[in-house]
Amino acid sequence: MPAIPQNLTAIIVDDEQLARTVVREHLSSHPEIEISAECANGFEAVKQISELKPDLLFLDIQMPKLNGFEVLELIDHAPAVIFVTAYDQYALKAFDVHAVDYLLKPFTRERFEEALRRAVSHVGKADSSVQDLVREVRNRQQPVERILIKEGATVRVLAAETIDYIEAQDDYIAFHAGGKQFLKHQPLAELEPQLDAARFVRIHRSYILNIDRLSKLEPYSKDNRMAVLKDGTQLPVSRTGYDKLKGLL
Amino acid sequence: MHPILSEKRIFGLYLVVWLIAGGLLALLLQSAGGVSLTDALVLAVPMAMIYGFMCLASYYLCRAFPFQRYDVVRILIVHSISSALTSSLWVSIGRSWASLISQINVFQNIEGQYSQEVPLLLAVGISTFLLSVAVNYSLIAFRDSREAERQAMQLQFHAQEAELRALRAQINPHFLFNSLNSISALTTADPPAARTMTLRLADFLRKSLALGNKNLVTVYDEVDLATSFLEIERVRFGSRLRIRLNIDEDAKTLNVPPLLLQPLVENAVGHGIAHLVEGGEISISATRNGGRLTLRVENPCDPDGPRNRGHGIGIENVRSRLKTLFGPEARLETTGTPNSYIAEIVLPADSHQSAPLSQQKMQV
Repeated sequence: MPAIPQNLTAIIVDDEQLARTVVREHLSSHPEIEISAECANGFEAVKQISELKPDLLFLDIQMPKLNGFEVLELIDHAPAVIFVTAYDQYALKAFDVHAVDYLLKPFTRERFEEALRRAVSHVGKADSSVQDLVREVRNRQQPVERILIKEGATVRVLAAETIDYIEAQDDYIAFHAGGKQFLKHQPLAELEPQLDAARFVRIHRSYILNIDRLSKLEPYSKDNRMAVLKDGTQLPVSRTGYDKLKGLL
Repeated sequence: MHPILSEKRIFGLYLVVWLIAGGLLALLLQSAGGVSLTDALVLAVPMAMIYGFMCLASYYLCRAFPFQRYDVVRILIVHSISSALTSSLWVSIGRSWASLISQINVFQNIEGQYSQEVPLLLAVGISTFLLSVAVNYSLIAFRDSREAERQAMQLQFHAQEAELRALRAQINPHFLFNSLNSISALTTADPPAARTMTLRLADFLRKSLALGNKNLVTVYDEVDLATSFLEIERVRFGSRLRIRLNIDEDAKTLNVPPLLLQPLVENAVGHGIAHLVEGGEISISATRNGGRLTLRVENPCDPDGPRNRGHGIGIENVRSRLKTLFGPEARLETTGTPNSYIAEIVLPADSHQSAPLSQQKMQV
């Protein structure tokens, strides 16, 4: 294979130690690639990738805490990704659709070298196929049961049913749950269709309400009403929002 | 062969019915035609018995002209003509009988009286023949529907049996490929461990094939297979996977259908342990409570993890197999808290060597 020009860094993410060992062993014949970290779960992966910003990422899909796709969703840094998986019919189909390379466990050295060569050729180049893949996987998993919020290098997992209401704040979304507020960089319009429509209602341009938390509706002005939540919070309800609420209640 | 002639008891009953019909015909002749009761009986009873045999022919006629394939008019015409012909034949046989017995002194008036009763006898003959036609049609319809029902049931049995075989043959490909990957990793890292793993995998596959070919295995066999499975998974998960067994002595020898426990254990690993960074302990227990056997698998799980813990295909398969094999006598219940998951099978404690009823049927 052609010589790899510059020194590269790689992170191996797999919850099985033996699986990481195989990748490490195959990489040992490539002194130009330095393994900067090994991660055994999704949280750790997000933290290490964000801190170490590797060029290459060997990524397992089924892992504790966050799966491989969720890890990719949460990192801002975009390394060249080599998916490594044993058997996952659905994921394999998604890979093929988006022409993303992957390694099927167990794999041969030749196959490993081929995947590595391709990934290396992508280092530093913007490649939309992986991001397209992640977006498709996320859209398939609707309605979302948990919201992933990155706070610095750590990840907070918010179960959808614990959310009281969601508020748009410029480019951010504020999730209000049990009196606490969590910010995520995402447009409200992108989030809305991913939520369970039987539970979450867009009551206003800037608000989505978990209807389990609704206590009562009070008239506010001629066309508008006010939603009073069980904890006393008051939220504006637009006319279309009111129609949607009526349809659900 | 005619269904009435094929069974002695039914044929006996048939003759009794016609004997009674003969008695009724005698009463009719007595009241409508003024024939003396003795004369009427001597005439009517033998005639009824003969007609009983003649009416058997209507069965073949009904078979030859099924309702489904011929229109009503055609069927009516066929049966009208045949009833008239049969009745006429019967009346002329009756006439011969009347002239024969009128040779005897006491019955010398019979032949004369018979001639007067011909129209009545013709009418009785036609209506009785038509009645037997109606009875035969309902008999055939009843038999057809029973046959259809039997065939449908047989079909269902075959389908269920096929499904069971398929289930037994099913080994999770994810498990297999992960195990092969572990072997591939160990081959250079730790060759003796690679050999051990290969042997364990072979052992597990052999055991599950052996158990899958039986209708009943012991609880001990089931626990043994589940343990083999977990030993292999432990190579992958290392110290993250811990096992606790709690098998009652008096439960070990009980009979159960094969491969009930392994899917529950597989679910506990895949949906429980695999999602925990630190792993956890899978607890397997088998307890006997009088006539009931309880198999229970409990595992910790991640409260923030994916929610589809109990919807593994393995669990659903076990549920449907239990339903097929035991009906309401067995159940699989799954309960859980945010941090744990329990799958529990309760089924009849079978300590005999015989197969459960539904399996005996399926072996026929």
